[in-house]
Amino acid sequence: MKKRTKLISVLLLSALLFLAACGNNEASKSGSDSKEATINKDAELNIAYPTNLQTLDPHLTTNQSTRDVARQIFEQLLTLNENYEVVPMLAESYKVSDDGLTYTFKLRQGVKFHNGEEMKADDVVASMEKWMKTSTQGKANLSGAQFVEVDPYTVELHIDKPSLIVPFVLADAAPFPAIVPKESVEAAGDTGLTEYIGTGPFKLEEWKVDQHIHLTRFDEYVAREDESSGLGGKKEALVKDVYFRIVTDESTRVSGVTTGQYDIAFEVPFDSADQIESTDGVTNVFDEGGIATYVFNKKSGPFSDLKLREAFNTALNAEEAMIAAYSDDRFYTLDSGLALPNQVNWHSDAAKEKYNIGDIEKAKKLVEESSYNGEEIVILATKDYTDQYNLAVVAQQVLESIGIKAKLDVYDWPTVQERRVDPNNFDMFAMTFAVRPTIHQNPFLDSKAEYPGWTNSEKIDQLLVDIKSASSFEDAKPLIDELQTEVWNYLPVAKVGNIQDLVAVSDDVKGYKNLIGPILWNVSKSE
Amino acid sequence: MLKYIVQRLFSLLPILLVVAIVVFFLAHLTPGDPVTVLLGDEASEETKAELRKELGFDLPLYTQFILWFKGAILGDLGDSYFLKMPVTQAFFEYLGPTLSLAIISQIIAIIVALVLGVLAAKKRGTFMDQAVMGISLFGISVPSFLVGLFLILIFSVQLQWLPVAGYRPLSDGLGEHLRYLILPAIALGMMQAALIARMTRSSMLDVMKTNYIKTAKSKGLHPNKITFKHALRSAFIPILTVIGESFGTLITGAAVVETVFNIPGIGQLIVNSIERRDFPVIQGTVLMITVTYVLLNLVIDLLYGVVDPRVRLNQRK
Repeated sequence: MKKRTKLISVLLLSALLFLAACGNNEASKSGSDSKEATINKDAELNIAYPTNLQTLDPHLTTNQSTRDVARQIFEQLLTLNENYEVVPMLAESYKVSDDGLTYTFKLRQGVKFHNGEEMKADDVVASMEKWMKTSTQGKANLSGAQFVEVDPYTVELHIDKPSLIVPFVLADAAPFPAIVPKESVEAAGDTGLTEYIGTGPFKLEEWKVDQHIHLTRFDEYVAREDESSGLGGKKEALVKDVYFRIVTDESTRVSGVTTGQYDIAFEVPFDSADQIESTDGVTNVFDEGGIATYVFNKKSGPFSDLKLREAFNTALNAEEAMIAAYSDDRFYTLDSGLALPNQVNWHSDAAKEKYNIGDIEKAKKLVEESSYNGEEIVILATKDYTDQYNLAVVAQQVLESIGIKAKLDVYDWPTVQERRVDPNNFDMFAMTFAVRPTIHQNPFLDSKAEYPGWTNSEKIDQLLVDIKSASSFEDAKPLIDELQTEVWNYLPVAKVGNIQDLVAVSDDVKGYKNLIGPILWNVSKSE
Repeated sequence: MLKYIVQRLFSLLPILLVVAIVVFFLAHLTPGDPVTVLLGDEASEETKAELRKELGFDLPLYTQFILWFKGAILGDLGDSYFLKMPVTQAFFEYLGPTLSLAIISQIIAIIVALVLGVLAAKKRGTFMDQAVMGISLFGISVPSFLVGLFLILIFSVQLQWLPVAGYRPLSDGLGEHLRYLILPAIALGMMQAALIARMTRSSMLDVMKTNYIKTAKSKGLHPNKITFKHALRSAFIPILTVIGESFGTLITGAAVVETVFNIPGIGQLIVNSIERRDFPVIQGTVLMITVTYVLLNLVIDLLYGVVDPRVRLNQRK
C-alpha cells in the first residue's frame, strides 16, 4: 500500500514539474516583453486569420483572403489613398490623352522583383493582359483595352471609349492587377500563378496550405518617397517576419490573441468585443467592412413587382435589422449611400428619406396595391456567415409583419452560390458587399453583370454610362446623386447599413491600418 | 494464416468499389463547385465556364468517374485543385499530425482507462467504483470540442502553461511537439478512455469470477500478480476490440478537435476540402481512410492470437 502511494506521488510530482517548466518558459518571455517598449526590427508578427486561402493569385479571384495576403506581396500600377482616391504606386505618374482614349504610364525605375530582376514594361504588359482575362471589372470597364510597351519604362493603355473610372478599375482591390514578372505569367496554369513573385515590401517565404503563410521583409524594396496614405505612398516593412496563421475556429482566435500567441486576430466575433476590451494588452480595432443589403430577385416571382419591393423597404427598420445582425452600434453605422461616407468622390445621400422608414401600415397598403397573391417568399440563407443569416431572419419577420408568408432556405455557402444562379430558386437573400473603389463595381447595378437578382433598369444602366463619360468628378456629381436616387426608386437591393469588421490588435503592435483589407507595412512591434 | 490475410485483402476490392462510387457521386452531385470557390463570388459565368472546361467538368459525370477510378486503381488519385500537389502526397502529409495526435491520445486513454477500469473492478460496489463509472459516463457524454475549449480556457488562457492552438512537427523537437499536442490529445482521448475503462471493468469482473482466478487466489499468489498477469491478460480481448475501434475513430473522427486546436490533420483536410469542393481530395481521402479501416481491423484480428493463444487462427479449422 505504502509503495503504491509513493509511486502515485512521484508520478503526480513529475507531471506538475513538467507543466511548471512549460509555464516558466512563457512567464519569463512575457516578463521581458513588458520591460522595454522599443521597436524590434527583427520582430515576428503573428496573425490569426479566419479563412483558408484558395489561391495566392491576385488576378484570379475576388476572395478576401487572397486579397488580404496578396496585397502585402504584390503591387499594382495605381492604388488608393485613404480617401479612396487614385494615386500611382508602381507607376511614377500617369497621363490621360485629351480624348480620354490613351493612358500613358511612366514606370518607376529601379523597382526590383523578389527574384532580383528589375520591373520593366514587358512585365507590366504581360501581367495586365493576364489580369484582364479573369477580371470581371476589367472586361466590363476597359472595353477593347490594349496594353502596349513604348519603351522599357513606359506603357500605354489604349481603350475604345473614354471613362472616368478607368484609373479606379486599375486601382481595384480584388481581383487586383498585380505586376508580376513576365516569366511568372508564362508559367501560370489553369488555376493561376504557380510562383508568387511581386515587388511588395514583403516576399513569400513559405505557403503551407491550410496552415500558414510566412512572409519576410524584402530587403531590396524601393519605397516611394511621398507620404504614406491608405494603400499609397511610402511603404516600409518594420517587422522581419509575418505569419498568417489560418485559425478557422473563432474562439481559438480570441483565446490566442488574449494570451499573446497572436498579435492580430481578424474576424473576431462581436460577442467577444467586451472580453477583448477588458483584457490588458489587447485592443479592439474597427475596420470598414462594406455595406449590408437585401438583394431581390427582380426577374421572376413576387419581388419582380416594384410595389412589393417598396413594401418591404418601407416596412424595414434598418436600425433593428442591424442590431439583430451586428449586436450593437459599435459594429455598424446607418447610412443610405452605395459608397461609404469617406469615399469622397462617390458618396451621395440623395433620396435618403427612402432609407430606414419602418412604417408597417404604409407597407401593408403597398402590399395591397401590389400583385402579391399569397405566395410564399423564399429567402436564401447560409449559416456560414452569421450576420447574413441573422439579416435573413429579420427579413422573414419583416415580411410576416406585413402579412407576407416567408420561409428561409438554408444551405452551406457553396450551395447558396449555386442555387442563386437560377431565378426559380429564391426571392431574396441578404448579402454584404466589400468596399469597392467605384460604385460601378457593385455587381448588383449593371444589367450586363447578370448578378443574381438580375437588375434590369435602363435608367440605372444609362446613368452608369453617363457617369463614366463625365469629364470630371465635378461634372459627375449630379449624375451620382441621380443614380443614388434611382437606386432607391428601383430598389435593385434594399440597403440596410454600413458594417464594421472587428479586429483584435495587441498593444505591442503599432501603426495597424486598414483600407479594403489589412495594411501590414508601416506596422511595427515593440519588444 | 497467410491464406487468411490474402483472403481478407481480396475482400477489400468490392468494398473499395462501392465506396468509390458512393463518394464520387455524393461529391459531384452536391451543389457548388470548385470553380466558383476559386474565382470568387463576383466572377462572370463566362470566366467560370472557361475554367470548368479546362478542369474537365464539361465531360459527362460517368466519364469523369471512369477516368478517376482507372487512375485510382493504379494508385493515382489525381491532383488537388487547391493544394497544388497529388492527393496521395496530401493524404500522407496530413496523416502525420493526425497519427501523432491519435497515438498520444490513445496512450493517455489506455493508461488512464486500464488503471481506472481495474481499480473499479477490484473495488466493485465501493465508492471508488461508482466514482470511476461516474467519471467515465461524463467522459462519454461530454463532446470533445467542449472538453477542448475548457482545457484551453484553464491551461492556456488562465494558467498560460500551454499554447492555445497550433501544431509543431516532430522535427521541431519532441518537447515542442508534445507541448502543442497534449491538450488536444487529452480532449480527444477522454471519450476513448471512458469507453475502454468501462470495457475493462466489465471484462475484468467476468474473469475474476472464473475458477482459475479462484485457484490462483487459493494458491496464495500475490493479488497484484493475479490481477495483472492472470486476469487482465485474459480479459484483454474485448478491451483490444474497443481499443482498435477507437483508434479508427481517432484517426478519422478528430476533425472537430483538429479544428478547435488548429491541427493540420486528416479531419481538417476533409472538412476544408468539402468546403471548397476539392473533389479529388474528398474522394481520395475517403478511399484511403476506408483502406486504413479495413487494414486496422485485420491487424486487430491478428493481434487476438498474440494476446490470447486460445484464439490462434489455424486452430479454427
